[in-house]
Amino acid sequence: MSTIALKTLFIKEVRRFSKVWLQTVLSPLVTTSLYFLVFGVALGSRLREISGVPYIQFVVPGLVMMTMVRDSFLNTSSSLFQSKINGTITDILVAPIGAFEMLVAYVGAAMIRAVIVGSLVYVVALCFTWFPLHHVGWTLFFTAFVTATLALLGMVAALWAEKFDHLAIFPNFVLLPLAFLGGVFYSIDLLPEPWHTVSRLNPLLYMVNGLRFGFLGVADVSPLGSAAVVLVSFVFLLGLTGALLRSGYNLRS
Amino acid sequence: MKPPVLRCRHVVKRYGKFTALEDLSLEVYEGEIFALLGPNGAGKSTLIHCITGLAKQSEGTIEVLGFDTVDDFRTTRRLVGLVPQEINYDPFFTPLESLMIQMGLMGVKPNRERAESLLRTFALDEKRDAYTRTLSGGMKRRLLVAKALVHEPRLLFLDEPTAGVDVELRRELWQEVEELRAAGTTIVLTTHYIEEAEKLADRIGILHKGELLLVERRESLLERHGGRSLEEIYLELIRKADGRQAA
Repeated sequence: MSTIALKTLFIKEVRRFSKVWLQTVLSPLVTTSLYFLVFGVALGSRLREISGVPYIQFVVPGLVMMTMVRDSFLNTSSSLFQSKINGTITDILVAPIGAFEMLVAYVGAAMIRAVIVGSLVYVVALCFTWFPLHHVGWTLFFTAFVTATLALLGMVAALWAEKFDHLAIFPNFVLLPLAFLGGVFYSIDLLPEPWHTVSRLNPLLYMVNGLRFGFLGVADVSPLGSAAVVLVSFVFLLGLTGALLRSGYNLRS
Repeated sequence: MKPPVLRCRHVVKRYGKFTALEDLSLEVYEGEIFALLGPNGAGKSTLIHCITGLAKQSEGTIEVLGFDTVDDFRTTRRLVGLVPQEINYDPFFTPLESLMIQMGLMGVKPNRERAESLLRTFALDEKRDAYTRTLSGGMKRRLLVAKALVHEPRLLFLDEPTAGVDVELRRELWQEVEELRAAGTTIVLTTHYIEEAEKLADRIGILHKGELLLVERRESLLERHGGRSLEEIYLELIRKADGRQAA
């Protein structure tokens, strides 16, 4: 393994999103903060508590997770796909870089971006409603594994996609609906059957509720159950991404 | 004769039912300039891609200085440099940053002095801090050559480096190629400008529809054909091969 190449690729990816921070950091921060202001602050005061937690606090972990899911996915998918389209992927493919280094560098940089934006959303929320983290360990666990999992999904999407429309399917038609239906703004306990059961098929539900348990100590699903779903997703996507990179799928002809 | 820097043995490359390279065997020796000629679609870029890691051969083996390009890819890629046919650039970075990044990617500790020296060599020092998207076509082409040299490769591939390049820049590029050869770098180039190959190359290889029709020293090839130009010899060989296949 080339540690210099790994370090260089990781720093390159971090610098790539840092150079366009208005688009990669500020834009999602503003969007998510608006959600928080509308649903948490404006409407939240009129809603009753959910699971014993004021609504304004209830939505915070969901919004943080929704932001991290989106940004982690977008960082790897847009970077890798653009490299494929503009041909600069050649610089990496002719270098002594294996699948492992590519995977660690791309996923690591995406996690950094997601954690920065997620932390800023949390800081904005704290300006309106102060609450300490209930379980720091679970918060770190779900932050790390969910951002890594979505970064891996972003790599798979970028490898598979052959045009920008293909790539847009994931954030617009998969991640956003799953996040909205995954209990970001409500508890699934409020849903009637069969929607309560159907919601349990949504992997984003476990990611949102895992972080909610870390933040607030309440969740619709036990943290162990959420952790199991997240870990299975992570391991599956890790294996898939590694196999695709090793085979050169849609990279090496 | 010196040991081969590059050895391809029975290389076959298929894309589905289409065979791009057919049982190709070739050796390139240290310090020489080897010109690979052939019409569009002959398989020149495919062969270069198989050697540099952009593609994987379906059959056969490729060795660079005795190392297998599949099993020992980390070693062979450190030894090889590639100037790709298509111009590419990362719009996020400047020429100086691009060179520093490429050094790191090639496993070499980024060295600012080396990067600046390459920028001077390729007359890019005035644009070192400009975004690469603002560079002219010629400058982008020169940056590609500089990037291919950051790790001081023993074997350099130039895949049609002068395509769409003006006369002045072509001359500068070929002068640089001569200097690299003088410094001991082995060079494999593809070009559609046959007169350039005639002037520069030590040996000529002619590839047609995935088959290597000929590999010969330039002098003996020209001598054997009694004073005819390389372009005439090339066209005759291609026509004969087409005629054989049609028959």
